Amino acid sequence: MTFYLFDRSFYIASDVLLAYITVILSGAAIFYLITKADKWPTIKKYVTTTHHRKIGVLYLLSATLFFIRAGIEALIIRVQLAVPENDWWVFQGDKFNEAFTTHGTIMIFFVAMPLLIGLMNVAVPLQIGARDMAFPYMNAVSFWLFLAGAILVNMSFFMTASPNAGWTAYAPLSISTYTPEAGNDYYVFGLQVSGIGTILAAINMIVTIVRHRAPGMKLTRMPLFPWSTLITSFLILIAFPVLTIALYILMFDRMFGTQFFTGEAGSPIYWQHLFWIFGHPEVYIIILPAFGIFSDIISTFSKKRVFGYTSMVIAITIIGLLGFMVWVHHMFTVGLGPLVNTVFAITTMLIAVPTGIKIFNWLFTMRKGLIQLTTPMLFSLGFIPTFVVGGVTGVMLSVAAADMQYHDSYFVVAHFHYTMIGGTVLGAFAGIYYWFPKMFGIKLKETLGKWHFWLFVIGFHITFFPMHLAGLNGMPRRVYTYLPKDDVFIYNFVSTIGAFLMGLGTLAFIWNIYQSFKNPDYTGNDPWDGRTLEWAVPSPAPEHPFQPMPLVKTIDPLWEAKRNRGGKLPEAESARSAPIDVTSWQPIGLAGMMMVFSLAFIYHQTWLQIIAGIGVLSFFVIRNLTDEHVRVAREEENE
Amino acid sequence: MNTFKTERFRDKQLGFVMYLIGEAIMFATLFATYFIYTPTAINPIPKEVFEARTVIISSVFLLTSSATIHYGEKAVEKGNHKGIWIGLLTTFLLSVGFIGMEAHEFQTYYKEGFTLTQNLFLSSFYILVGLHASHVLFGMGWMLVLAYQKNRIPFMNYAQKQNIFSYYWHFVDVVWIFIITLVYGPYLFY
Ligand code: HEM
Ligand SMILES: [Cu+2]
Repeated sequence: MTFYLFDRSFYIASDVLLAYITVILSGAAIFYLITKADKWPTIKKYVTTTHHRKIGVLYLLSATLFFIRAGIEALIIRVQLAVPENDWWVFQGDKFNEAFTTHGTIMIFFVAMPLLIGLMNVAVPLQIGARDMAFPYMNAVSFWLFLAGAILVNMSFFMTASPNAGWTAYAPLSISTYTPEAGNDYYVFGLQVSGIGTILAAINMIVTIVRHRAPGMKLTRMPLFPWSTLITSFLILIAFPVLTIALYILMFDRMFGTQFFTGEAGSPIYWQHLFWIFGHPEVYIIILPAFGIFSDIISTFSKKRVFGYTSMVIAITIIGLLGFMVWVHHMFTVGLGPLVNTVFAITTMLIAVPTGIKIFNWLFTMRKGLIQLTTPMLFSLGFIPTFVVGGVTGVMLSVAAADMQYHDSYFVVAHFHYTMIGGTVLGAFAGIYYWFPKMFGIKLKETLGKWHFWLFVIGFHITFFPMHLAGLNGMPRRVYTYLPKDDVFIYNFVSTIGAFLMGLGTLAFIWNIYQSFKNPDYTGNDPWDGRTLEWAVPSPAPEHPFQPMPLVKTIDPLWEAKRNRGGKLPEAESARSAPIDVTSWQPIGLAGMMMVFSLAFIYHQTWLQIIAGIGVLSFFVIRNLTDEHVRVAREEENE
Repeated sequence: MNTFKTERFRDKQLGFVMYLIGEAIMFATLFATYFIYTPTAINPIPKEVFEARTVIISSVFLLTSSATIHYGEKAVEKGNHKGIWIGLLTTFLLSVGFIGMEAHEFQTYYKEGFTLTQNLFLSSFYILVGLHASHVLFGMGWMLVLAYQKNRIPFMNYAQKQNIFSYYWHFVDVVWIFIITLVYGPYLFY
């Protein structure tokens, strides 16, 4: 769309213009509503907080926003693909490339990851009897770095320079020779900044779980969500640094003229190796926590201890280990040779074994249980068959010879959505419904929750099941149209209808949140008749929980207390010192500075790079000089 | 004497070790990159570029500094304030020497036309050794902050901060040892 201002003409794509208008109007509306409701003090509390529950809420809130953005993109993709030779709005050619790239990138890094890290923040400390995360300040830094990276990737659209090389950013397409626009620089810096936040979050989780468990909470008594969090954190700690370096090298290729991934001597395949050495563990990073959530929820609503606890722990550990040995299954068609392909095909198939064990354990947990069909339980029940389908297609894909046919087709798109939506997204919804009382002291409405579940899950299968068939009929992924004679029209059309049902389901969820705050159902500490420690503290979880500190003697300590001690947990004689909570503007300041620093690189402003670089470094100094440990030590000295 | 090792401080130690594991993986990835691209088909080859003298001198500087910071560490445990200052100061001076040599080395290479984009051996050399050098620089800034805080915060806090710093410094040194043996070594000493 071209318009005139001061005798000059400006061009702006109509989709971007519409996005600007939407964002500005809704921004103004939100600003007005906040001011009217006098909520700025609350906002300030959340912005400066270092408390794990509030940070968890911030993660979940941002993830929901990005889910809406990337979800709209999914709908756009589906509309463009609804009928053959479609020429809808602007979404052909490069615009379509941008749409699936930002859809995939945002969904993985800024939806799946923060949904899970958010739930970890809310639930894990309480489940293990910790008084907060081990490093509250660093926890806030993690969140704001994540958000800064997410904003970078999201703002690229508004600067009419979206990343467009797919979420995998394969070289040489992602090299500046072929994509000179700023788009993929936004990708590089956005993922880099948020990746640092994720690594710090993982360190924080590890230390919290290793060192802050309540007395008596041996690792062998820990609920399965903390267990999967622990394993996931190690996966993050090992996999994300590889991404950091991959992006670091890509940055040199894009900005400083090196030719690692292109040119005569460079190797695009090396990028693929680096990306998937990170990327495959990443898909386990986003599925294992969901496994943990389902285990706890299924056990709670079957009123039974989880079946095969030890085998569950061993299974997640093995999945985590094997996760590092399978990355070449994304590269079967590259031509690394039959031996390499065979080895990686076998390791990939092996993962099905521990995963299958987990599926059976969930089923056996429910067997002869007193099953309650609450919303979180419904999501867990929806997960099991859905994920089994995703697992079966996964094993099909792992057959290297057959993958020559499946590779880069809609069959793959169907496969990974069955695992990521069927696993991660359903898990996150289940977790949100389950722990919502711990976050806000109120329950989400059950009736609307059921609408949400049924619309979303039915819509999901209508959307993604036909994609298997479209893929088998030869439809490649990442194409913006197809011909009538390709014989995939009907699958695509059905798929688009399903996508809108999922959209309706998501609206039901948002409506549910609104309704639940408007007519709140206050719940006590323990709305679900829970088994683990988080249900022993008030809802919403207080800033200083576990006074007195419980003494843990079994798995499911609260359940045991309810059965044998009239609900009173035994008390520990002494507890370790709690982490020091503070309120601080520094984390958001640091993240903002990192954003400026990244923008200075993206737009090649050397002077701004220097200023912002100094700015970032000065935050380290400021942090050191305002360290709360020093303050506390002084106070203790003066006593 | 272990008075500064409170529960909270042990959290920090563990957390920092975890952080260093992450860093180690980053460097390992860069070493892998170097192996893959070195030597390349396009000249120069490493032997034409590297110069033993600078490498040896800078190594002497950096490796000695591990000893001096260790001395500083012992001084903290004994509560020997003069020793702390000596440890910090010598470490700092040695790191200045190291960075000076490194700057000199890069400058010489550049003058000879061995630039970042010349070939992939040089590219992977610079991004690895350069990242290490920036770690040293960061450590130098850290030491300045430590020196500033030494008499301004309770001794217990100072002791903790210096302890974490020496973890960092030893780590940077270990990476350097890998750089000598794996990056320079095969082409300089055989
Ligand atoms: C909400 C409904 C969703 C719909 C209708 C949808 C639809 C699609 C479609 C049609 C594609 C293929 C684009 C192409 O190859 O041309 C795609 C790609 C992708 N989707 Fe989704 N998606 C949805 C949700 C999600 C979620 C929740 C995730 C992850 C957690 C996700 C992750 C991805 C990824 C990683 C890609 C690959 C992008 C690329 O090729 O670079 N999607 N999606
Ligand atoms: Cu994989």
